[in-house]
Amino acid sequence: MATDEDLMRAVAAGNGDALERLCHRYERPLYQFLVRHIGDSDAEDLHQETWLRVVRHAPRFDPNRRFSTWLFQIAVNLCRDWHRRPPPMPIDPEIADRAERDTSEAASATIDLERLLRALPEPQRAVVLLRLYHDFSEEDAAEILNCARGTVKSRLHYALERLARTVKTEDTHSQ
Amino acid sequence: MTHDADRACTALRLATLRGGVLDARATEHLAGCRRCAHEHEGLHALGGRLRMLAPEPPTSLMRRTLDTAAPALAINAGHVAWRPLVRAIGAALLPLPAIVITSAYALRALYGLLATVLPETLSLYLVLNYAGLLALCAALTYGAVPLLAARQARLTHEVAHG
Repeated sequence: MATDEDLMRAVAAGNGDALERLCHRYERPLYQFLVRHIGDSDAEDLHQETWLRVVRHAPRFDPNRRFSTWLFQIAVNLCRDWHRRPPPMPIDPEIADRAERDTSEAASATIDLERLLRALPEPQRAVVLLRLYHDFSEEDAAEILNCARGTVKSRLHYALERLARTVKTEDTHSQ
Repeated sequence: MTHDADRACTALRLATLRGGVLDARATEHLAGCRRCAHEHEGLHALGGRLRMLAPEPPTSLMRRTLDTAAPALAINAGHVAWRPLVRAIGAALLPLPAIVITSAYALRALYGLLATVLPETLSLYLVLNYAGLLALCAALTYGAVPLLAARQARLTHEVAHG
């Protein structure tokens, strides 16, 4: 089976089949990372933008690096840019009301979790998502986030402490 | 709280959120740390909820992604096709100054030799004729370089992509 790095060489040469195979391997984890990071409103756009950048920068990809860390590095950078964007235009209140009425119990639980993740500062959220959901090692997370391994450790520590505090607060409120 | 204890708390929290069975070290820490014991159940439940937050990508997303990337992919393919062409032309042009200088010296020497036995005008005529012939040969050779390189690139591409 061709490795990700072999497929990237083929993508750099303009091979569409290689891109499709890479997309197939990473579509789900990448999409889930983006949804958990920025919510599902713009995740599809960012997903497409990530792959577009992969193709554009494929000729400069260093095959000695791991493709997965490179891919998530692009995604993290795009998420950072997304967070820096000005907030969207206010939507029609009538549409917002209708959307609110349509919200089921399951959806509200999801929104609750998303709110919990969103409450974390962006750098901490990225570390939690990479370490918790995508099983990246501390070294890989540090490479993706372009920071020191110690920074990854401390961000993870503060993020988990924050989550634990939130859980405790929720427990106290529910009692 | 010590730095080591902090690290143990973080490791336990991460393991709890990930779910599954805790290893011996984490279990030992859980038994001895009041703070971790207090938050363990809540974190365990939160981990379960977080793992369920696994949205599936829409079925059409892959097709749309590939369609979006198609022009960039075509550019990559174009660059690959141009690269051997540029390399071949570059390699062919590299010795050109040396060829021109050597030819100029050779023609001057030839003119000098002919002028000793023939009238100057006739010698000049013969040398210029010869120089024209050389220039034509060089033009034909250099004109064929991009054509041959393009053919070679096409054959290589056909072998690589079937």
